[in-house]
Amino acid sequence: MKTAIEFKNVSCGYHSTTVLDNINFQINEGEMIAVLGPNGAGKTTLFKALTGLLRPTTGIINIFSNPPHTLSAQKRSALIAVVPQELETPMAFNVEEIVMLGRTASLSRWATPNREDHRIVERCMVYTDIADLRDRPLSELSGGEKQRAIVAMALAQEPKIILLDEATSHLDMNHRFEVMQIAKRLNSEEGVTVLMCSHDLNLAAEFCDRFLLLDHGRVVANGSSSDVLTERILSDVYHCDVRVQQHVGSGSVTISPAHRLTPTRAGQGIRVHLVAGGGSGEELMRRLILAGYEVSCGVLNNGDSDTEIAHALGVKTTLEAPFSPISNEALQRSLEAASSADVIIVCDVPFGPGNVANLKIAEHAGRQKKPVLIAGSIEKRDYTHNKAASAISTKLLAAGARTWHGIPEVMKQLPQSK
Amino acid sequence: MKKSITPWLIVLSAPAILFACMLFGPSGYGLPGTDSGAFILRLNRVIAGFVVGAALACAGVVLQALLRNPLAEPYVLGVSSGAGLGAALAILTGLTAITAFALPLSAFIMAIATLALVCALARQGGRTSVYALVISGVIVSAVFSSLLMFLTSRAKEHELHTIIWWMLGNMGVNSVGVLRACSLIILLGIPLAWILARDLNALTLGKEMAHHLGVRTDIVVTLGLVVATLISAAAVSMTGLIGFVGLIVPHVMRKLVGPDHRRLIPLAAIGGGLFLAVCDAIARTIIKPEIIPVGVMTALVGGPFFIAILRARRKQGWIE
Repeated sequence: MKTAIEFKNVSCGYHSTTVLDNINFQINEGEMIAVLGPNGAGKTTLFKALTGLLRPTTGIINIFSNPPHTLSAQKRSALIAVVPQELETPMAFNVEEIVMLGRTASLSRWATPNREDHRIVERCMVYTDIADLRDRPLSELSGGEKQRAIVAMALAQEPKIILLDEATSHLDMNHRFEVMQIAKRLNSEEGVTVLMCSHDLNLAAEFCDRFLLLDHGRVVANGSSSDVLTERILSDVYHCDVRVQQHVGSGSVTISPAHRLTPTRAGQGIRVHLVAGGGSGEELMRRLILAGYEVSCGVLNNGDSDTEIAHALGVKTTLEAPFSPISNEALQRSLEAASSADVIIVCDVPFGPGNVANLKIAEHAGRQKKPVLIAGSIEKRDYTHNKAASAISTKLLAAGARTWHGIPEVMKQLPQSK
Repeated sequence: MKKSITPWLIVLSAPAILFACMLFGPSGYGLPGTDSGAFILRLNRVIAGFVVGAALACAGVVLQALLRNPLAEPYVLGVSSGAGLGAALAILTGLTAITAFALPLSAFIMAIATLALVCALARQGGRTSVYALVISGVIVSAVFSSLLMFLTSRAKEHELHTIIWWMLGNMGVNSVGVLRACSLIILLGIPLAWILARDLNALTLGKEMAHHLGVRTDIVVTLGLVVATLISAAAVSMTGLIGFVGLIVPHVMRKLVGPDHRRLIPLAAIGGGLFLAVCDAIARTIIKPEIIPVGVMTALVGGPFFIAILRARRKQGWIE
């Protein structure tokens, strides 16, 4: 089997921002693959790089062994066709003319479309069931009809790869299904490689065999639905609680965002103290404030990204000078602030000699029999000389502290007001 | 595919209409004797009208497609103000007294320089967006128009008259050399635009989609802009600023023959040419022996006529 698409250490972005960060994957000819990920994960950039609209800053992209920007426009269009989310033209082209636009690159400048071109256009219109609409202007069609016409146009390119770029997001569930079924048929009958990106995880799960999950420009997971579409991975990437259920009859997977386990304002009157730093507490702070918790945080260094968020949210914060180790004085102030807290949460922040003192706050709370929630395992991010942070963590866990992975989980463990 | 007789009607009626235009003139109705000076004068006028109208309509079609903007017209990238400034400079420096080529050449060079300036301003990080082009076109136009107004305010009375006539459009081409040179540019430019027809069709779906369809968008957009500007600059430098043709004729022809540029470009060229030739025939006879600037006539004559067509064929053409 040939490799249709290959990304080798690809980084890519706009101006000075890097969007794709060292991406690696391969897609074989004839696969049907979904590229998933939250907004801003890099799906669009990945498609742009793939179609040669954007050149990777480092790394190599291959489409049937050719980097896209080295392909001639004509050859590229014979390999890859794109079905976008939406297509508008200010001119009143009718459906047949639009589908014929798919032949643009294969027609010579001088020739008019010959019998073969008309045959291809005809076949594509029949395939997508729009032959009856051939004389209607594209702009007059309904969303579903329009999208089928665009698929027909892409088919008329006779490509080896079709990219569905959010191609069904504007459609109702019936038309969504219709367009996807056309793609599936193409994939299974004609061996066309289909790459779709979509926010509709269920649709992707229904039709695709492999999934590529992106987050912050990296490939987080790559594999079958049981490898990628798991509650743990999805809730981590989408920052919300996710339920994955397998349908008993069909075996298909249904993914739904469960209600946030903390109902709104569940935290009213409850005080939480965070040990964070380096951005590890940003998202949690936001969530806690939204749920009505009273949040304090410290000790943070001034200028830390967590400090900025804390200020923005009005979180009471104990500060230390930028890049300085925590002084005794700051620690005392923070201990004071934490003394009124009901819960202490230790975020996923690395510990070194400078900030290991922060764990004293957790220790202190532990002695007072207050709940302590620690993110992941501190051993893995302990950069102190004598593994002091790990030692404290072991002691805390022995005394009843609990660990957490991902924000939905920690929110579940928090006490709630009645 | 639906076959329409409209395109054939337009093509076949063209010679008859052009011949009819020959029959009107300030010296009287009817065909002047072929050896008389009036005949040559009239023939040149009809040819100039046809060629200029064709150039403006064709440039309008190309620019509306490239910029995906129904309000685009040949002057959108600053050609008119650049050429105007060039013409005024030629008149005020007295170069016009030396050779008949001075004014058109100066106008032409300034028009092309303006396009280059607009493109340079719009270019950012190796890429040019159509919005940036339109905006820099507007800015450069505004600046050059102010300069033109300044020059006009300093002009003496007889110079002022020449400048104003030029700005209103004047079909009286008094140099056959100028007519030949400008017509040559236009008659080469229109087929060049037609070669891009298929790419223009794809580009109406947007630059990215055209890229996916296999169009070399950067080259086609640049080439299209250059060709459209070249032919409109040639037209403007020959006969001055004539409005309306480049904006409205493309719309009307799209309604009549459909949006496919392979058909639209040649037919818009013929349609625009006929329209301007007819307008000029009216302009030079309606209050004879006086001649009205043709730029005054285009909208006066064309406005009602085209509104009737656009309303009657509302179903087709530019999106509602």
